[in-house]
Amino acid sequence: MPKMAPLEEGYMVIPEKPGEPCQLLGSYSKAAKKSFFPIRKLCPITSEPVETVKLSPEGVLYSWSFIQMPKMGSRQKVEGGGYGVGQIDLPEGVRIQAPIDGKMGDWKIGMKMRLAPNPVVTDEDGTQYCGFKFIPVKEN
Amino acid sequence: MNRDVYVIGVGMHRFSKDFIPKRDLYFTAGMDALKDAGVKFRDVGALYNGYIGGGMTEGIGFAKDLGLTGVPVTHVENASATGSTAFREAVWAVSGGQTDVAMALGYDDMRMMGNPIARPPSGKKRLPSMENIMLPAGFFAMWAQRRMHENGTTVETFAKVAAKNWNHGRHNPMAQRRADHVVTAEEVLAADMVAYPHTAMMACASGAGAACAIVATGEWAKKHANGRPMIKVLASQAQSEHYSDGHIFMGAVVGPSYSTEITGKLAYEEAGVGPKDLSFVHVHDAFPIEELMYYELLGICGPGEGDRLINDGDTAIGGRIPFSPDGGLIARGHPGGPTGLAQVWDATRQLRGEQGKFQVEGARTGLVHMMGAGSICVVHILQRA
Repeated sequence: MPKMAPLEEGYMVIPEKPGEPCQLLGSYSKAAKKSFFPIRKLCPITSEPVETVKLSPEGVLYSWSFIQMPKMGSRQKVEGGGYGVGQIDLPEGVRIQAPIDGKMGDWKIGMKMRLAPNPVVTDEDGTQYCGFKFIPVKEN
Repeated sequence: MNRDVYVIGVGMHRFSKDFIPKRDLYFTAGMDALKDAGVKFRDVGALYNGYIGGGMTEGIGFAKDLGLTGVPVTHVENASATGSTAFREAVWAVSGGQTDVAMALGYDDMRMMGNPIARPPSGKKRLPSMENIMLPAGFFAMWAQRRMHENGTTVETFAKVAAKNWNHGRHNPMAQRRADHVVTAEEVLAADMVAYPHTAMMACASGAGAACAIVATGEWAKKHANGRPMIKVLASQAQSEHYSDGHIFMGAVVGPSYSTEITGKLAYEEAGVGPKDLSFVHVHDAFPIEELMYYELLGICGPGEGDRLINDGDTAIGGRIPFSPDGGLIARGHPGGPTGLAQVWDATRQLRGEQGKFQVEGARTGLVHMMGAGSICVVHILQRA
């Protein structure tokens, strides 16, 4: 398995051992009793200090779309005709925007979604630099 | 406001998909506004340049074409609300007594804007930033999708909003998109999909352009009215984000929709008018979902009633309260920096009764609204004095 690293530090934890969940890093404000993503310097409601926390790797799809135009910073058409994007509500009350796996017809508001690393670029030493995405969870 | 402020001149370079040198865009809009106002550049006591995509103090270089008068120049950037913010700064410069005449000039080419880049820990490669994950089109499409889920809004309703604005833009000489026929909702729906449920004909026109407004005291406005009605700035309000549950902090376009509600209320309060007093409204209609939501958030109708407004034709020219009478971002276009000033251009000329085939009859009070990256909302209310 290739080595994976976040595109930027401070957003997510990619576990080295397979099977462990990838998790986003957020902030928790004791004063406001609320969580935020990404990490805040201070609580945006009370301006009190916050602590860094790992957020739940699973959430619920709040909304979605399928984009059929070039990705940010590119003029090239996307392979496969497009890509999914979604807003996912985590149990901590945090809403995340991210690419989502799948194709038109795969997504339904309210469905369960799971966080995963999203390789963007492979470096010369083989390291895959990753953003994050969500994958629909198949329910039995 | 400490002193009354009036719009005494407006000017534009047509918004276009052609690649036009920015220096030419700037000069054309600036000279057009100076001519419209009947003042000289040396009369301008403060200049606010608005652009998103240019280099460091690029605008001050272009301003040299208007003259070397020593005028203080400030550069303003607030994403899509850049022009509106430059206008607001000019209004406050006059209101606060800094100068009697101020100019706001926005120019840009939306297709030539950069993207943030992050450097990976190894420093070996330049990578896209983690913050740079979502196109504005995706954000607005998800807003639309949620609206469909919660309110039963249909794609046909979105298409009707876009068709209306395409048809408003048909007669605007400054519009980027000027259809040679009446655009139907069916035609809008048949266009290529951009981000479901939005098609290419629902997306704002991305191109180049410039727009300019000159504001002044009542004394200057009276002196330079030249037989035309004076256009007073009744309200100038701006708000960045307030926290709400489900707040999104990360992405190219974020921020809660109710920023518009808060800023609109502040503007109504300052102006001493309400939604029922408005003759027309300009909004950040980059996609139809926005215009639909702003009907409700600006108090033109109640929550969930926006669909009825578009289906009944209330927001078309000739209807109860026309939205985007010049075509809006969808047809007139959205180069970036000048977009909010193009709204002021149309609002001023609508209130003077100068817009010919796209004139809102009897226009007396107009509201102009812009969002910048979903994070800053700017609202002005103008009135024929």
